[in-house]
Amino acid sequence: MPEEVRIVTRRLHEFPEDSWRIERALDDGAYESARKTITSMTPDEVVAVVKDSGLRGRGGAGFPTGMKWSFVPKDVFPKFIVVNHDEGEPCTFKDRQLAEEDPHQLLEGIAIAAWANQATKAFIYCRGEFALGSRRLDRAINDAYERGFLGKGIFGSDFDLDIILHRGAGAYICGEESALLDSLEGFRGQPRLRPPFPAVKGLYGRPTVVNNTETLSALPSLLENGAEWFRRLGTERSPGTKILSVSGHVNRPANYEVPLGTSLADVLTLAGGMLDGKAPKAIIPGGASAPLLTSTDVAVDFDSLKEAGTMLGSGSIVFMDETTCMVRNALVTLEFFEHESCGKCTPCREGTWWAVKVLERIEHGEGRDEDMDLLIDIANGIDGRAFCPLGDAASWALRSNVKLFRDEFERHVSEGRCPFDGELVGVSGSPARHEGLGGSGTAPQPGAGMPSDAEPEGN
Amino acid sequence: MRHEGAAVEARALSDEQRETALKLVAKYPNPRSAILPLLFLVQSVEGYVTETGMREVAGIIGLEPAQVLATASFYTMLKKAPQGDYLISVCRNIACTHLGGRKVIAALEDRLGVTAGETTEDGKFTLESAECLATCDGAPSLQVNYEDFYRMSAVEAVALVGRLERGEQVTSFRGEAVKSAREISYETAVAGLQAPGTAGELSERTIGGESPRSDTAPGTRPKETGEGSPNA
Ligand SMILES: Cc1cc2nc3c(=O)[nH]c(=O)nc-3n(C[C@H](O)[C@H](O)[C@H](O)COP(=O)(O)O)c2cc1C
Ligand code: SF4
Ligand code: FES
Repeated sequence: MPEEVRIVTRRLHEFPEDSWRIERALDDGAYESARKTITSMTPDEVVAVVKDSGLRGRGGAGFPTGMKWSFVPKDVFPKFIVVNHDEGEPCTFKDRQLAEEDPHQLLEGIAIAAWANQATKAFIYCRGEFALGSRRLDRAINDAYERGFLGKGIFGSDFDLDIILHRGAGAYICGEESALLDSLEGFRGQPRLRPPFPAVKGLYGRPTVVNNTETLSALPSLLENGAEWFRRLGTERSPGTKILSVSGHVNRPANYEVPLGTSLADVLTLAGGMLDGKAPKAIIPGGASAPLLTSTDVAVDFDSLKEAGTMLGSGSIVFMDETTCMVRNALVTLEFFEHESCGKCTPCREGTWWAVKVLERIEHGEGRDEDMDLLIDIANGIDGRAFCPLGDAASWALRSNVKLFRDEFERHVSEGRCPFDGELVGVSGSPARHEGLGGSGTAPQPGAGMPSDAEPEGN
Repeated sequence: MRHEGAAVEARALSDEQRETALKLVAKYPNPRSAILPLLFLVQSVEGYVTETGMREVAGIIGLEPAQVLATASFYTMLKKAPQGDYLISVCRNIACTHLGGRKVIAALEDRLGVTAGETTEDGKFTLESAECLATCDGAPSLQVNYEDFYRMSAVEAVALVGRLERGEQVTSFRGEAVKSAREISYETAVAGLQAPGTAGELSERTIGGESPRSDTAPGTRPKETGEGSPNA
């Protein structure tokens, strides 16, 4: 029987009632690791530990954290830490739980990262829809200030740290780090050209470390126990544990923390197996951006999944059983990308729109024989031509649905209907957009709510 | 002054709210960073981002109204038309759809007599379909004014509407009281404002910092930091 290895999620499992309260967290040793780190290690020593540990970013790209930190120029001030708490990758819900139920572990991790990078200001970019998480973070930040863990001279050192909570306003693309920075500077959240990378020129043009909530939450235990301890968990190239958000047709959808390299079959067992004992037909191994798998015979870590033609991404795993209509799955996925495409570049903005149109007609029984090739064509037209990884991801998801389940697509066309339990109901869609209000996906809509005398010179 | 000669400009914010707005601006090294909180503040007044409100925000942070609109129109949580007291956002993403989420949307459309994206005539409810709410462990899930409701069947969702209609105090799956749409906009605006951390000193030190902003970047493809295309 596979078991979880709870490190980053330990406190919230041991004290589910009040793990988020500072009193409880302090009883459990919260902030001790940051205190020791800041009062007894040099910043370079901290960066070295994180480098040696092999910790890779938990936000999706899997970039080595210590290496990212080492790109930050030493002599430019101020520098910033920006916490990516915009969790919007479909079927990912780990950051949300971490901030709601163990916000102090996150704040402690921020303090460690701030010390290591000599940044005295940190911003938490908290997804707009996370009302409870924001409340808990807000409370936690205030409590930490009161006890001298934030503010001037934290932990009695001469190092100052302020944490500023900032709320997003509903746009998936703002999870992409450079779009996030534009959003934080008060613009539409659209990706920036890179290089320069944020570590060199980020927020307000200053060196900025953008890290994911889970990455930062892993720091207190890492610094407490050391790089070697960390490397004992996981695999050579994917060390440590990872929180997997497991959902879909399983008996116990939840977050599970396991060493990287755990088999996908074991993950399914942890989640209580498939609903009604059915067989998994398709598995999304790393968020909507990841190409599908059809077998659980693979290890869950950065490299094994890459070899299997897909990716770990944010670590969200969706199991779908044999009753799932894969045309519908592709449609829902592409509707998401179409809605969230920021509109900056043509391949993604137009390609996702066309893909949705074609998928809709197939799902509604009006597909044409050439539609499957057309979809692959659309995918090829986006892949490698988009300005940021959102467009690429949309194309991979589209291509993998069509390639792996082409027979299902063809049945929709030849039978002139969806062979599963009826067509998609209630697709009226999203709609900030259809209202002409301009969802995050659209270019500004001429005239929609435009102040009538907006010209620079006024009346 | 841009509106020289015009009569006293219409105000969206009260004096007290304006003071809050100035505190929000002071949180950041650059006034423009406060645009989202300020727009939430405006939204807390009439339930949506009014034209007057956008003008006022523009005045506070030194932008043109059109620039404020251009930013506001990007974000789905900033509403540009009058909204209901209760915003019901039903997830339409992968996990929820495969577990019946679209049926919840359809049932609510029937019950409320609107299509997703619309507001009921009595101004009580706005229904919208939302992207993944990160509550997929409770799929199908929805939010009422951003509080979470897990494992909602069509029947339960309709019953929830009934309770809101009758004015009952409703608490979320996580035990949080559902607030009014305007209250939650206000809460979103002032999140983090109590914390003593200010950016005052910072703003002086940031002078000269120049961002490689997205809208000035040429349209070439950025180098990727992470993994390449897995299908490549
Ligand atoms: C379209 C898109 C959406 C993303 N969304 C998120 C997100 O919601 N949260 C996150 O932490 N990273 C997200 N990322 C990854 C970030 O760009 C960045 O790699 C990450 O925040 C870096 O932190 P890490 O190294 O600690 O993972 C996204 C990337 C892309 C391309
Ligand atoms: S790929 Fe899509 S999300 Fe990324 S910049 Fe282009 S339009 Fe925007
Ligand atoms: S898919 Fe519905 S909450 Fe994530």
